[in-house]
Amino acid sequence: MKIIVAIKQVPERDARIRIDAEAKWIDLRDVEFMMNESDAYALEEALQLKEAHGGEVVVLSAGPERVGKTIREALAKGADRAIHIESDDLAGYDALGVASLLAAAIREDDGEDPDLILTGLQSDDLGLGQTGVILAELLNLPHASLILKIEKTGSGIKVLRELEDGWFQHLELPAPAVLTIQSGNSKLRYATLMGIKRAKTKEVRRVTVADLITVDPGAKPADPVVQLDRVSLPSKQRTTQILSGSPAEAAAALVEKLQFEVRAL
Amino acid sequence: MHLAHAFPTSALCASLFATGLLAEPQHFSLAEKLLLIALIVASAWLFWKRFGVVVDKILHSRKDPGFQLFPIGKRVWDFFWEVLCQAKVIRERPLPGLAHAFVFWSFLAFALVTLNHVAVGLGIGFLNPAGAFGRIYYWFAAAFALACAVSIAGLFIRRFFVRPIWLSREGHAISYESGVIAGLIFALMATYLAAFFVTDSSLAARLLWWAHTLSLVVFLPLVPHTKHLHLILSPVTIFLSRGSFSQIPPLVGDEDFGLVTGKDLTQLVSLQAYSCVECGRCTEHCPAANTGKSLNPKEIILGVRGYLNEFGPTAEELLLGKYNSQEAAFQCTTCGACEFQCPVGIEHVPIIVGLRRGAVNTGAWEDSHGTKLFLAMERNSNALGMSSAERDKFVQKQELPIFDGSQEYCLWLGCMGGYDPKGREIISSFVEVMRYLGTSYGVLRKEKCTGDPARRLGNDLVFQELAESNLEMMTQQKVKKIVSICPHCVRTIQEDWKDFGAPPEIEHHSEFLARHHARLPHQNTGEKIVYHDPCYLGRYRNVYDEPRTVIAAAGTLVEAERNRERSFCCGAGGGLAFLGEEQGQRVSAVRAQELVATGATTIGAACPFCNTMFRDALASSGENSPRLLDIAQIAANQIKAAPSQ
Repeated sequence: MKIIVAIKQVPERDARIRIDAEAKWIDLRDVEFMMNESDAYALEEALQLKEAHGGEVVVLSAGPERVGKTIREALAKGADRAIHIESDDLAGYDALGVASLLAAAIREDDGEDPDLILTGLQSDDLGLGQTGVILAELLNLPHASLILKIEKTGSGIKVLRELEDGWFQHLELPAPAVLTIQSGNSKLRYATLMGIKRAKTKEVRRVTVADLITVDPGAKPADPVVQLDRVSLPSKQRTTQILSGSPAEAAAALVEKLQFEVRAL
Repeated sequence: MHLAHAFPTSALCASLFATGLLAEPQHFSLAEKLLLIALIVASAWLFWKRFGVVVDKILHSRKDPGFQLFPIGKRVWDFFWEVLCQAKVIRERPLPGLAHAFVFWSFLAFALVTLNHVAVGLGIGFLNPAGAFGRIYYWFAAAFALACAVSIAGLFIRRFFVRPIWLSREGHAISYESGVIAGLIFALMATYLAAFFVTDSSLAARLLWWAHTLSLVVFLPLVPHTKHLHLILSPVTIFLSRGSFSQIPPLVGDEDFGLVTGKDLTQLVSLQAYSCVECGRCTEHCPAANTGKSLNPKEIILGVRGYLNEFGPTAEELLLGKYNSQEAAFQCTTCGACEFQCPVGIEHVPIIVGLRRGAVNTGAWEDSHGTKLFLAMERNSNALGMSSAERDKFVQKQELPIFDGSQEYCLWLGCMGGYDPKGREIISSFVEVMRYLGTSYGVLRKEKCTGDPARRLGNDLVFQELAESNLEMMTQQKVKKIVSICPHCVRTIQEDWKDFGAPPEIEHHSEFLARHHARLPHQNTGEKIVYHDPCYLGRYRNVYDEPRTVIAAAGTLVEAERNRERSFCCGAGGGLAFLGEEQGQRVSAVRAQELVATGATTIGAACPFCNTMFRDALASSGENSPRLLDIAQIAANQIKAAPSQ
């Protein structure tokens, strides 16, 4: 089984965010980066499928040099090789643009076609949730989103999809297919020293946007159809509610609020 | 005075000289000489047949990375104090320890006697029992022989009749060979002493000589076949220790992940494994073994020995397998009680941490709590998995100045001080004291965990990344002196970071408080306060009196049953605060009970991890539990209580 996992590097979740001078994006100085969370779960799913059925896991990531750290982390956790699309101005593309680059890199990757392409449901920074779905369209492959579980069947795959309100859906798809993975279903593994040392010898193929376009003129991203107008920090609100009634009633009310209003449970 | 008058020393000596001489048979026939040679050769061959294998296994183990013989002064001192003086053996168990010491000293005294004994049989005896030196020396040896005979008989009774549980092993009966050895030692001494009461030419002298000889030739091959191998190995083990307490060796090259297979066992580990005398002092003090866990430090060491015996030092079989379990290895709190009092120089903690490294660095350890901890340290750079923004809020709220190089101290918050509510209270109290004293300090804008839980759990990747990034930050900020409320941070920064750079000077707040003791207000209320020695402050740093100074000024210091270097762990160390403790009793509950049993109304702690463990243990133990305060809080309370100036 050959599985390609598309991974995005995003600003650290708890980073103190400042908006840059033009209010077009956050100030990236002094920010640390990490692997997008749902992409980490996509990688975990891929590694578990490989452990069960054999094959290879290829990491695909686009962005400037710093993305190399996230790629190494994925290799350390067990991916076999990586493709790094080098681009310093990725923020200039919209989801369609990024997906065309990823699609081109998948098409021109040597050897056999992938059996599965996985990516996270959405990115922690922009949260558009589009890239994976567009990628499927560009590659002309079937897709399913919000996937929690993947099982290999004789002819294709069986997946568990999360719907709204605690509902789930079981689907069967032919392979190859593109799946976007929901966070939280499996347990992520920790990176190990052995993994990092082994990762040093694993192949990271670097391609530029120009390379991709030379091989496949169709890879040239169209002018962005979506443009970021401006970004701002969310305004904070503090409200206090006193839950009255007997302790049992108050506890029940608290549970309900945590479950349905705050959605913390 | 009367006695001295009645028996002047010279008279005593004269009477001794006038009485018995050691009898030596005079002429040995050729047949006797040949028999003696045959016995010696057979004995030596049987000895080497086993000892040679042991030496071979030790020498074929991997060389110890980073081992240095120099500076040699400490080694010589340890050898003198622990081997020659038997200090550790006696201190730990005074009566059996002294008995052991007499057996040992007798062996030393007997070296010359034994050499001459054999030489006599070959007709080349060199120590004349009637000569001036011979007389004195044989009487000197006789005194030791008497002490040794009494001692070994006592030890025999202790082992086989009193039967302390530490001497037994699960699934193993008390080793019968110890009884045989004790019998032989007793026979050696008895045959020697008896020879004073017979004449040279008597048959009895000849029979005693042969009985002594037979005991010797049977004794020798038994040594390497039993735990009595420690006779030969433990002096070497003590001399060749790693150099400091619980020193975790560096990993070298791209294929070193800790103790994974036999190939990773180093010469020191193998030497230590064969030195174990199975006395069980480690088990007696181990918080895991005492609360019904699988871990027994003695079994870890004997497990390594079992592995070496079966598979050898070049095997690829996993070390955590047949002889040692992963479960046991991850129950260690790294409190170091085992290593601290081991009389034969075994360094348990580096071995246990080594086994964990082997499991974690290769990904073999799968534990949901452990994985959560490692991911939190990878992603949030603190062990509690909280957003660093939470620390920023605390720093702002407490108006803690940011370190800019102009202040004297960098106040290290640590994960507990920065994120844990109780830890924050300790920081606030300590800050009050520093403000009172007018000490200039600042906290780092960004701070990452020192890596202590990862270091002790064997995750070298996380530890290295945290240590390197912290060291870089400290160099940038020109940090010279750090003070911290956490003994774990202090130890890790001062010792463990050395693998990756030169850490700044650091001290624990108890040392700071004791140094400024005279300038702080004191009002002794007489309240009973019990002090709990944190492992990482006591055994790891040798700081016992400083925190007691702070407490003694505020109230009446009382001691728990186990205190100072024998203090019993709170259960948090070695990353265990973050894992699930499911087997047996909780270590924290056992220790909290001991502290409560002193009748103290306040428990004085000096480590935020101990504090959090006791907080939970006391909360579940009942209502009338004592107050729990850090020494910084005790000191700050006295400032509040002092009449304003």
